[in-house]
Amino acid sequence: MMSLSPSLGSSYPWLKELKSEERGLYLIHLLLTCANHVATGSLENANIALEQISELASPDGDTMQRIAAYFTEALADRILKTWPGLHKAINSTRVVDLVSEQALVRRLFFEVFPFLKAAFLLGNQAIIEAMEGEKVVHVIDLDAAEPMQWIALIRGLSARPEGPPHLRITGIHVRKEVLDQMGHRLSEEAEKLDIPFQFNPVVGELEDLDVERLHVKTGEAVAISSVLRLHSLLASDDEPLRKKLPLALKNSNGIHLQRALQMSQNTLGELLEKDTVNGYSPSPDSASSSPLSSPVSPKVDTFLTALRGLLPKLVVITEQDSNHNGSTLMERLLESLHSYAALFDCLESTVSRASSERLKLEKMLFGNEIKNIISCEGAERKERHEKLEKWIQRLDSAGFCNVPLSYYGMLQAKTLLQGYNCNGYKMKGENGCVMICWQDRPMFSVSAWRCRNSL
Amino acid sequence: IQDPSNANPNPKPNANPAKKKRNLPGTPDPDAEVIALSPKTLMATNRFICEICKKGFQRDQNLQLHRRGHNLPWKLRQRTNKEVRKKVYICPEKTCVHHDPSRALGDLTGIKKHFSRKHGEKKWKCEKCSKKYAVQSDWKAHSKTCGTREYKCDCGTLFSRKDSFITHRAFCDALAEESARLTSVAATSLNFRNDTVNLPHGFAGRGVQDVAGIPQFGSGFPQDFSGMPAPGLPEMVQMAPANLFGSSSHFPGFENGGATSSNSNNLSLSQLPQGLKEEGRNEGNLMESLSSLYSDNQNKQSKANASPMSATALLQKAAQMGSTRSNPSFFGNSFGVMSSSSSHTAPTFMASSSASMSATSNKLDKLMLQTGGKPSEPSLLNMHHPGSNSFAQSLTRDFLGMSNDQSPRPFLPQELAKYAAIGSTMGLSQFTSSNH
Repeated sequence: MMSLSPSLGSSYPWLKELKSEERGLYLIHLLLTCANHVATGSLENANIALEQISELASPDGDTMQRIAAYFTEALADRILKTWPGLHKAINSTRVVDLVSEQALVRRLFFEVFPFLKAAFLLGNQAIIEAMEGEKVVHVIDLDAAEPMQWIALIRGLSARPEGPPHLRITGIHVRKEVLDQMGHRLSEEAEKLDIPFQFNPVVGELEDLDVERLHVKTGEAVAISSVLRLHSLLASDDEPLRKKLPLALKNSNGIHLQRALQMSQNTLGELLEKDTVNGYSPSPDSASSSPLSSPVSPKVDTFLTALRGLLPKLVVITEQDSNHNGSTLMERLLESLHSYAALFDCLESTVSRASSERLKLEKMLFGNEIKNIISCEGAERKERHEKLEKWIQRLDSAGFCNVPLSYYGMLQAKTLLQGYNCNGYKMKGENGCVMICWQDRPMFSVSAWRCRNSL
Repeated sequence: IQDPSNANPNPKPNANPAKKKRNLPGTPDPDAEVIALSPKTLMATNRFICEICKKGFQRDQNLQLHRRGHNLPWKLRQRTNKEVRKKVYICPEKTCVHHDPSRALGDLTGIKKHFSRKHGEKKWKCEKCSKKYAVQSDWKAHSKTCGTREYKCDCGTLFSRKDSFITHRAFCDALAEESARLTSVAATSLNFRNDTVNLPHGFAGRGVQDVAGIPQFGSGFPQDFSGMPAPGLPEMVQMAPANLFGSSSHFPGFENGGATSSNSNNLSLSQLPQGLKEEGRNEGNLMESLSSLYSDNQNKQSKANASPMSATALLQKAAQMGSTRSNPSFFGNSFGVMSSSSSHTAPTFMASSSASMSATSNKLDKLMLQTGGKPSEPSLLNMHHPGSNSFAQSLTRDFLGMSNDQSPRPFLPQELAKYAAIGSTMGLSQFTSSNH
């Protein structure tokens, strides 16, 4: 037993005797049980489950133990929100992640996994091909934090047979320091290769972006790149829904045992679907989780339409390919259990358990995503990953049509994945888009788009 | 069926004394009459129907000749001698390029084929390969050449064209695996803090040796694909922890990828059933089903992973267990323990639970009737839907029937670990909520 979690005198001594596989299975069971209790408001039972999970889970243990640690923390966070005062109080001295820490985690994600590199390769190749013959190229990065992609693009463009274009890169990010760093790196690189270059920082939240600030000029060829950023635009859409809820429910959050008792009379099905933690019951209007229903997301649609208004030559989108935007807690929990299991397995197969870098990735990147998916609702819940087919629908509605990713780009990405010398990384093409997978599970999708009905 | 604006197609051109003049492709005769046929007309194959036997013909001429067989009056239309105005046809599909009269096609057959190919359903399928065609003649033409001239990759994919074959081979998995086996394993990553551009000759070398027999790989590509960086793949590809490129700087803190996974974990499936035996369990059915469970999964897992169970594999197993519940006795007891908050309250809980058992069993019966318990319903892990009823059923059986007299016995951890089906959570909430 490798549990290192501090226990105030174990109430369940026999739990320690479980073997790894049994423990793993039991953890899954406990997590699901706990989540169900949270969803139905049976907090007492949720507490029991949490106690047992805490005995078994550990951020230093095996894969399942680690995953359980983060999920259980997320569930606990969610429960605590029942008492907003308590929740705020317990987080009152929490230091918001330093810029340097965030940068480190981002860099780790880029280096440890091939996902970003592959996405950059595919994106850059698509941009280079779309910009063939263009003299002035303007690239807009919707979340400009990782300079590596543009460094590679600068090098790629400088090697063009027709010579490099005049290149402008506009980077959008909420933190000025990140943009300054990026601008500096990129300008340095462009200067080395003697390419006319300009970096335009746009500081602010993407959600509040006014496209005028991008200063797209006539005559320049625009390419827009979005890497793991678009899904947060889906977050603003719950607001109108929340207003519909009766005020009484907002504060209850499972304290009413009466309600819990009544629920026991319901069918199994209803039990699972009710999510009363935040007094939020999925109504027929809410974004359904069925794969092909048309999504109700005005904010992102407006945004995409605004982008289309810039008449970009190319839009490249990389997104997590999982459905973490289900309207109920259980849906999201189940789906995210599977996706993060794959990511944690991936780390287990490629990095040692003792590695502090691995721990950072698990805690600061994945742990935070899991917390957001499980414990947040409404505008707060930003990690609204959705599957590619939904993005395809949205982009199609906004007036874009697919540009199949180039074979040469795929070749480069494939070579990269093979270079990792780990059998788990796979790539598959689907309708011109690329899915980068761990074993059989698609983790990230990359797709390219152009304006429909334009020459 | 006939569109009013439709004129009969011209009779065979060889009836003409002079050959028909052909316009340059893409430039229809400006004086030509533009004809817009409906999709139905374009797709119609046999428009001319014999009134007697209902047989269809593509040309009126043929129908007339056929009518002679029924002793019906027939008349072959003679080609008129006066100059016939040239006709051009536009595609009815509004978004199509050929919908514009300036891009009309000069040939009726041509517009029909175009419409089928671009806007129609591909009904004709090649038997040998999976290619589908909307126009029968296209299909026929393909079938003639399909499989005749072939290039075959080691992975089994066939190509009729040499260039696609070559490109594929460079890309192919099978080849890469072979070269990976051949080259030494040294999983590393380049140090990113080092900004110098790395263009190892290793890469060009790979192009020659490992990507077997494709010298074009290095030189050919820049010509085939425009806009490529000239010397080969961009540096980012080479930044991968690649044994191929021969560089070996370590990223601090990370061990070799290949080395760690197998030795850090000492779990192996074969240990488990033995472990159970050692505990001195004496319940025959329990043991049997347990070991069968594990041996079952050992087979299933051969594909998924090596001896330590990945989280993904655990989830799959949990889902399987939920849906293939065969031994009901598991659930009964374990539930009791699940609900107890701590060991010292366990006895009291048990006492109260036996009292409430009869109460809950009624509720459970009602529940069972409502949900119409289907034992084979997949668990939540599988379907992401309201959980299986198999658990609830077994719980009922246990409470009502007291199958294996297991309630007073202390709960063993192994039993708890055996189920992870969502069905169990349903029962749990029933059980506990009624206790309050």
